[in-house]
Amino acid sequence: MRPTILSPGARPGGHRNRATVRRLAAAAGLVVAVTLASTSSAWAAGETVGGCVLEKVAEAKTEHGSLDAVKALPSEELGELEDELEGCIESPNPIFPALDEIIWGGLAFLILFAFMWWKGFPAVKRAMDARSEKIRADLDAADTAKADAMRTKTEYEAQLADAKAAAAAIVDEARAQADQLRQDLQARAEADIAEQRARAAADVESSRRQAIDDLRTEVAAIAVGAAERVVGASLDADVHRSLIDGYIDEVAGAGSNGDGS
Amino acid sequence: MSVLALEYPPINHLFDWPAFLFEGTPLAVNKTVLIYLAATAATMLLFGLAGRPRQTLVPSGVQHVAESGLNFIEDSVVMQTIGPEGRKFMPFLTSLFFFVLFSNITEVIPGIQFPATSRMAVPMLLALLVWVIFNVVGIRSQGFFGYLKNSLFPPGVPKALYVLVTPIELVSTFVVRPFSLAIRLWANMVAGHLLLVTFAVLSAALWGATYIGAALTFPMLIAMTGFEILVSVLQAFIFTILTAVYIGGSMHPEH
Repeated sequence: MRPTILSPGARPGGHRNRATVRRLAAAAGLVVAVTLASTSSAWAAGETVGGCVLEKVAEAKTEHGSLDAVKALPSEELGELEDELEGCIESPNPIFPALDEIIWGGLAFLILFAFMWWKGFPAVKRAMDARSEKIRADLDAADTAKADAMRTKTEYEAQLADAKAAAAAIVDEARAQADQLRQDLQARAEADIAEQRARAAADVESSRRQAIDDLRTEVAAIAVGAAERVVGASLDADVHRSLIDGYIDEVAGAGSNGDGS
Repeated sequence: MSVLALEYPPINHLFDWPAFLFEGTPLAVNKTVLIYLAATAATMLLFGLAGRPRQTLVPSGVQHVAESGLNFIEDSVVMQTIGPEGRKFMPFLTSLFFFVLFSNITEVIPGIQFPATSRMAVPMLLALLVWVIFNVVGIRSQGFFGYLKNSLFPPGVPKALYVLVTPIELVSTFVVRPFSLAIRLWANMVAGHLLLVTFAVLSAALWGATYIGAALTFPMLIAMTGFEILVSVLQAFIFTILTAVYIGGSMHPEH
């Protein structure tokens, strides 16, 4: 939306306008002030001739009662008055210093010097020196603080390096311990495996022996039964068993030899 | 006074102000006296305010003006002409500088428009005071005869030239110095005041006759007003630094 005078969007433009007006007013004021300041030198004149004459005549009139009385003065007094009136036209010697100005000017400078010597100069100088001293002290303190900070930083850096070295040593030690532990566990595991293998082999061997024994017993019983049926004779069971065992052993021995085991 | 159809005030009317208090007595008070009193009051006010106990670390306002003034006097006047031992003259030189400056600058202050130092009384008085001070300092530093010897027979000059140099030194050091110091300040301020009044009267007259006529004189009046501000400061500085040079010369004859 195009900003209008009443819309908020027009505010910056309004500020600019007001600022421009203010600047123009200030410039105009400055011009007027400079004009007045400069031209007022034209009025910087002191006593005028007319004013001086009027003043002298008024003084004479007051002193003698009326202008007629003044006119009627003896020639000597009238001459003095004329000299005074001519003095209004004569320029005073500009180089000759006026006594009242010497007295007042000297007194003013004396008072000023006394004040400056007693209070003005020492107070300001003291304040300046105090500030210089404070700034110097602050700078010294800042330098000291900086040196302390640098020292602390160096110490911290050294401590940090020590801590890093210690941490590295701890890590190395932990790593070595872990390796050792791993090797121990591995060895133990291998030993367990070997033991279990041996135990398994023993079990296998025991089972094999048990199986052989069972087989032997079974075969013996079958053989006895078969022999009985074949010979028909009644044999003592224990004799039969011993005969059969002996036969099986022979067979087993022959079998083992035949397997090469 | 009519000069070339121009109503110009008589010269004495530009400088001679009537008394309005204690007229006819040695304690008569006129505009010039008021300016001297105002210059004293202004300097006292400036340093009184600047020297208050409540000081800021970064100086501003009157504190800044007073401290800059002191630094200026110390660095540009005392240290350049006398040296570190001249610091004891700081209160005197600072008073001198600000008193002369404030008495000069009223030349361009609207409503006052008159340099009090364009009257001979105080420049002469201050110059005589300076004359007494540098002679006393010389006698105290070198002894009476030593001071006279070093002043009238400057070391390093061929003896044959003393015939010429000694009378010149006698006149220049003990006679001319106070007059040159006073007249330099007084004449500069008289000339400045005359310039300003001349251009102001000219501008006013030409403005009344033809507006175009004032187009040249009025800008000149403004330029002269700025120039006189510079002259006021410069003359105060010159009066002060010459005082310091004279004191330094009395303390250190080798310079």
